[in-house]
Amino acid sequence: MKNTCLYYFLVLIGCLTLSSCKEEEYAIPTLKQELQNDVIKRTLGPNLVGMDIEFAYAMALPKSMGKLVSAEVEATIAGGESTYLESRSFYTNGSGEDVGIEVGSKSVNSGGKTTVTFTKDTSAATLRYFYRIPGAAKGKEVSFKFSAQASNGQSVSYSMGPYKVAEMDLVLDLDVVDSTKAFISIEDMAVYTAATAGANASKIDLVYLYRSIPNITFSHGLVAPSAKTYLPSVILPAGATRNTKVQKVWNLRDFHLARLQYGVYIDDLDFQQLNISTAPNYAINMRAEAGVWVETEDGKYRAYVYVNSVNNSGRSAKISIKRYQMK
Amino acid sequence: MLKNIKWIAAMMLTVSVLVSCKEDFPVDEDGLLITSRSQCYVSNFELLGPDFQTVRVENAVIDTTAQTINVKVFYGTDLTNLYPQFTLVTDAKLDPKIIGKVDFSDLSSPKQYTVVSGNRKVRKTYTVNLTVQTP
Repeated sequence: MKNTCLYYFLVLIGCLTLSSCKEEEYAIPTLKQELQNDVIKRTLGPNLVGMDIEFAYAMALPKSMGKLVSAEVEATIAGGESTYLESRSFYTNGSGEDVGIEVGSKSVNSGGKTTVTFTKDTSAATLRYFYRIPGAAKGKEVSFKFSAQASNGQSVSYSMGPYKVAEMDLVLDLDVVDSTKAFISIEDMAVYTAATAGANASKIDLVYLYRSIPNITFSHGLVAPSAKTYLPSVILPAGATRNTKVQKVWNLRDFHLARLQYGVYIDDLDFQQLNISTAPNYAINMRAEAGVWVETEDGKYRAYVYVNSVNNSGRSAKISIKRYQMK
Repeated sequence: MLKNIKWIAAMMLTVSVLVSCKEDFPVDEDGLLITSRSQCYVSNFELLGPDFQTVRVENAVIDTTAQTINVKVFYGTDLTNLYPQFTLVTDAKLDPKIIGKVDFSDLSSPKQYTVVSGNRKVRKTYTVNLTVQTP
């Protein structure tokens, strides 16, 4: 009797286990009988003035209900001149390439609004939106309202944001050449030649030089004008005396500056929290893909100078700068 | 059936008694195991700059008899912000501990680090002598 009960119990447990593992049958979702939309943000990292924020805006309605008439994006701060809503809808082909198909007229900007009017008879499209961040948005927040209209009178909208625009400034691909185009001003985000440096002597924060000295490794250097030891045979313009703090960095390939595959970004916060108070005023033996944190003598600016490439025979380098104003 | 249960219980009791009799190994004030090893030396030395790249021109010369580490660093090395890295013999530890950047700029009074053996009974003080490459 005892054993029989035990068997019944085991069978019951078995049945329960089997029934709980039953797979749910798949059902085709029912099509919503309305115009729908969705948005994804495609760009990552901090938003910088002069760069784009990219979105992909998808809209669709059942074919039987009509077609798309227009799509519009309204930004709270009007974007730069090159802001546009793509008039092509993309699909990815078998080779993984994005192929665009013209579905509307070229987008029209009016204030913060960017509009595309559909010219093709289409009931579904994904349009990309490129918002060129204007100078007016620096340090502010910007939001977007995406909307679409269909021929049956329906309209939908989707809000994105707010997104903070960074305070940082960015300048890309400055060429520096030893003894000719060698005087870097963080304040002006510019490189001066020997001829123009005189007029801007008080703004020169760094001097670029290349030296090949026997028994030591010097090569490419970014040196403050006050660090005379590390400026062998450099003729400084009169008045260039800034004592800039310079901290060598390796392996920090900011995506905006380097444009390499590493998804690393320097943001405002990095500059705010940077502490290079004990840093020297020179950095020599710089290599490509290395960089330096910089703080100007008056503490007004902090910057990250990235070395995109170096050329030993040409005694030159290509640098990109991100700068943050502290005061 | 009851007999089996009694056996199992007895076995479990024995195992738990054995486990509870495990010897406690001594640890020092840092929670590190004090062992029986008396060896006390530095086997390798590395010096990194603020960019975590080596600043050594060549391998450090470690003299375990004279208890010195002689390092030649690149011209232009920022001696105020360096990260020393010691490789020690098994179970040994370093005093003082390295917790961040170290200022090696005063070349006239070189930094000293003491290696403490695994049994915490032997202490050897190493002097780190830096020389900077010159043109």
